[in-house]
Amino acid sequence: MAKILVVDDEEHIRLLYSEELTEAGYEVITAADGYKLIERIETEKPDLVILDIKMVDYNGLDLLQEVRNKFYDLPVILCTAYDTFKEDIKSIAADFYVIKSFDLTELKKKIATALEAHIPSS
Amino acid sequence: MFEPEVNPEGIKKAEFVVAIPSYNEADSIAFPVQQADRGIASFLGNRNSVIINCDNNSDDGTKEIFLGIRTAAPKIYISTEPGVKGKGRNFRNLFEKVVDLEAEAVVVVDADLKSITPKWIKHLGEPLFQDFGFVAPLYVRHKYDGTITNSIAYPLTRALYGRRVRQPIGGDFGFRGELAKVYLHSDTWSEAVANFGIDIWMSTLAMNENVAICQAFMGRPKIHRAKDPGSDLGPMFRQVVGTIFDMMREFYPFWSQVKWSKPTSIFGFGLGETEMPPPVEVNTATLFQKFQEGFKHCSHLWERILHKETLNKLQEVGKMDRDLFDFPTHLWINVLIDFAIGYRDAVVEVDELLDSLIPIYLAKTLSYVKKTERMSIRESEEFIEEECVQFEATKSLLLQRWNEGTGGRS
Repeated sequence: MAKILVVDDEEHIRLLYSEELTEAGYEVITAADGYKLIERIETEKPDLVILDIKMVDYNGLDLLQEVRNKFYDLPVILCTAYDTFKEDIKSIAADFYVIKSFDLTELKKKIATALEAHIPSS
Repeated sequence: MFEPEVNPEGIKKAEFVVAIPSYNEADSIAFPVQQADRGIASFLGNRNSVIINCDNNSDDGTKEIFLGIRTAAPKIYISTEPGVKGKGRNFRNLFEKVVDLEAEAVVVVDADLKSITPKWIKHLGEPLFQDFGFVAPLYVRHKYDGTITNSIAYPLTRALYGRRVRQPIGGDFGFRGELAKVYLHSDTWSEAVANFGIDIWMSTLAMNENVAICQAFMGRPKIHRAKDPGSDLGPMFRQVVGTIFDMMREFYPFWSQVKWSKPTSIFGFGLGETEMPPPVEVNTATLFQKFQEGFKHCSHLWERILHKETLNKLQEVGKMDRDLFDFPTHLWINVLIDFAIGYRDAVVEVDELLDSLIPIYLAKTLSYVKKTERMSIRESEEFIEEECVQFEATKSLLLQRWNEGTGGRS
């Protein structure tokens, strides 16, 4: 069972994602902010991270950069309420980005693709 | 008298190399050399560095200009034998020199760059002293600059090898010294690689070696001698696309196992406001005319290369008026699949095959220009990203046809 770490400062989003993604067959763990995110990933070893871009004390794009530099191939999906973040070049280090919605069809599709992505070792 | 190497300071070892390949760049080489020197002094001053001009024995005074520029970093000039040309051959000399110098990291920048700043050296070089083995550039380019990259090199390498490297033939990049040995010992060297195929060859080998790749944000756009995509493409197109097809044959065991794609790390922010690139003029009438001429000159080849359904669809597109012209992405993908397999199977002589792809590529370019006419650079980037997803989603068809052998041509 793939383990997904949801990092979002909005409690209702964490709850929604937890319920829906658990129902979809994933193990879900959550974090309310980016505090010690790298350590959390090292300890929990998620297979994928869903990262909110705008959190009260944290910039998801900066966190993405830290995660990407440390965990080269860990899939990260950026979530946001707006699509203006696409203007920030940092967003291309994410596997995918999705606009937040109560309908998680798109997110689930992206999760499946990101988990399926594979590059063999040479 | 010809000298294959001029090393005024007798440099024997260097940790860091900035290399500038050239052929008859006397008018332009001074600027990138000066910027490289400033970049070394400002950001890599604690490393033993050298600036190398790897030249094709230019007869316009490139060597004298290069050696005459006052720089803090020592310089070495190396050249191919008289009469021996090719960007890739300059690189081969560079690889040998890098191994000889036992360099840890190498940054290469084009000799015709007008927009390079010292920070380019930092951004392309610093990741090589961290965890990265290959650094590709990431710059804002005009939506009509780099159409071979946008339509072929980027989407194909991304779908094949699974790494999202936006500028795999950017011309400016960095690589770790150990990779020079890999490049020297690779048995995939070819005449195309010895010329303009070198950039895509190096990027592809790095991907196949599973080297950690990052993209360095350059801040300023690449300002160089940009060309109208409808202007004479011949040799460069053949060498780049031929190298991509050669590598597909060579690295099938690798790319056939790749599913979807993964992003790369990004390095180099904090450059302030991103500058917009200068406009690139495109003559859409020429693109349309060359596509139409393709039907006259290349139909007999297309009939041997293309799958029947692809050919039928292409003929439909050929009947469209210029004003309503549209070349669907899925058709373009099918064309590339058929050409890659036709190239592998040598269904026609390979240069003829590659030349016959040019009119179709120009049609795809015309369609891209029309579709993105009112788009901002960012929107056109999103358009390209969506096309890349279609390339990735069609990979199963590529595999199926590749494994069928002949590709089921008409």
